[in-house]
Amino acid sequence: MSNIKLSHMNHWKTIPYKQIDNFRDFYYEDKSNIAYYSDWDRILRYHKATGYDGIEIAPWDVADILKLFGTPKDFTDFVKDHGLEISGMFHGADDSYRADKYDEVLAAGKAAVDLCAELGGKHLNTCPCNNYYGVGPLDDEALKNAARVISDIGEYAVSKGIQIGLHNEFFCAVNKENHHKFIEMTDPRYVFYCLDTAQIAIMGDDLLKFYETYHDRICTFHLKDTASIAVPDSIRYDQDVEIRDDGWRWFWEPGEGVLDLEGLWQLVKKYGFKGWVSIEDDGTPDLLASMALSSYYVKEVLAKIYQ
Amino acid sequence: MHYCVSTEMIDLHNQAPNRNQRECKFYWDEAYTLICGAGFTDMEIPYEPKWDFGGRSGIPRTLRSINIKFQSVENYMKVLKEAGINGISSVHLDPSMFCSGVMEMYFGAMEHFASEAIDFCAQAGSKVFCLTVTPPQATVKALYQGDDMDSFIAAFLEKNGEVIARLAKKAADSNIKLCLKNEFWSLLRGSAIADYVKSLKSEAPVYIDVDTANLQIAGVNPAQFIKDNASLIGAVHFSDTAFVDDGDIYATPSPEFPLNKATQIFKDLGQGDVDFPEIYKALQACGYDGVVVINAKQTRDFSRGLLRAGYYMKHCLGISMSDAQ
Repeated sequence: MSNIKLSHMNHWKTIPYKQIDNFRDFYYEDKSNIAYYSDWDRILRYHKATGYDGIEIAPWDVADILKLFGTPKDFTDFVKDHGLEISGMFHGADDSYRADKYDEVLAAGKAAVDLCAELGGKHLNTCPCNNYYGVGPLDDEALKNAARVISDIGEYAVSKGIQIGLHNEFFCAVNKENHHKFIEMTDPRYVFYCLDTAQIAIMGDDLLKFYETYHDRICTFHLKDTASIAVPDSIRYDQDVEIRDDGWRWFWEPGEGVLDLEGLWQLVKKYGFKGWVSIEDDGTPDLLASMALSSYYVKEVLAKIYQ
Repeated sequence: MHYCVSTEMIDLHNQAPNRNQRECKFYWDEAYTLICGAGFTDMEIPYEPKWDFGGRSGIPRTLRSINIKFQSVENYMKVLKEAGINGISSVHLDPSMFCSGVMEMYFGAMEHFASEAIDFCAQAGSKVFCLTVTPPQATVKALYQGDDMDSFIAAFLEKNGEVIARLAKKAADSNIKLCLKNEFWSLLRGSAIADYVKSLKSEAPVYIDVDTANLQIAGVNPAQFIKDNASLIGAVHFSDTAFVDDGDIYATPSPEFPLNKATQIFKDLGQGDVDFPEIYKALQACGYDGVVVINAKQTRDFSRGLLRAGYYMKHCLGISMSDAQ
């Protein structure tokens, strides 16, 4: 029995069909690979074929999913029919730093928890605040506001069997200067941590030290690599920095960047982590190739250390 | 007639290999030169606020994104000029993405972003603003849970008309024509658009955007429609299709992606069966001298779609883009 369940964070753009039964005819309309990227049936098959146990849902995909499937449960049943589970969902707690937005942020957080539960997920991986540009730096009062509402969402989540995991982007208003402080300000009974390995390193944190420090709060991972370590504030805090003008990629498949992921996995083994690890291949030119490449690394390199 | 090509043929909504490039500025900087290289000198921009919400300002489809990457629309126009693009002839907004929850929210967002798009037109020197007249009818109907759908639709269209009248005034104040586009899934599909435009209580003129493929799918002959409504035409979209809607797909929640059978509804120019020679003759016969936007949403290979369009215009219709400006 494996300790690690491998999920894949969904970054496929709008998938327009539930299932294409006239696959060959559709292919011949354009004689291109469009037919291969157009239905959930095949995309879930790709997940299964490349060794994943689950899929993590992006909230911006939900409206399109419901158009095709009707209800979250119908989608989950379809996923299960493909031998997969839904590990969780992503959520962004925008405006969490504003006291006057407490009710709104809490309501949105609870709605996300409910949806995650309906989908059968376990993790609501939550970006704790807006982007840095236009909002940061946050003072102590703003951090306190954010920690309060995140903790309250977390308490509700726990009551529903969901864990919220803080997911800090390198361009988030909670950033290098107060990231650790913010974690400490949240209630450890209710707020956990989703360790995005690349985001932490880009922000300038030491990945292995971070895991050593917070291993008891880390409930899941977004596992990805990077070749951009400790990027300067002037870049991280710039507007719309996630996508670079020149095509520079922040994120790479595990093993294709410079992170010491094998060192991390030694720690994962040391502390006996059990649970979901989501591969996140955002920014890739070819999701299918990246899914395969990432899965190979986990199963052939990391699994030799711990699985 | 004044021809331009819609950059909507660069698909960002669906997955395809190398799609990630399309979120980056470098991709677009080169795309302008490819448009020029294919013989086109003017563009239409699909106005898509969706990308603003994710901070995707590399995608030049809103005032926000262009101001972030170029500091001003004026600077953007200079960049286009250097790449061989003379101007942005038309801007199109489809506000359907805002149609959820309650009707008031939809109209609030529609008016906000349409106003913004008109501001963009004014700054870019575009004389045509095309507005999708209603969201897909299934999407509109999903706003209402009662048992008097006819009254709800009537109220929706009345409110729609009020917003359109205000937008038409704003557009006219900047010498911009507001043209209504009626997709085959619209509440005002086919020839219904003509009566609607005539019925609007609008101080400023409101025009029709003739979209050839959408009219044909809705069961209307585009050439005949042009002859019948010549005085109302403010813009024309040359779009192609071979789709026959024999399953009432227009009324389903995702009409561009038929539930029963996957197909590519819109074709690249010349790949479907829309009778462009007849349409061209009808436009000439009624003395149309406005914008013709060439659009294609079949291939995800932008260069291929562009060159197919250029080839069709020159070799099948006998229209050279450079001569036509």
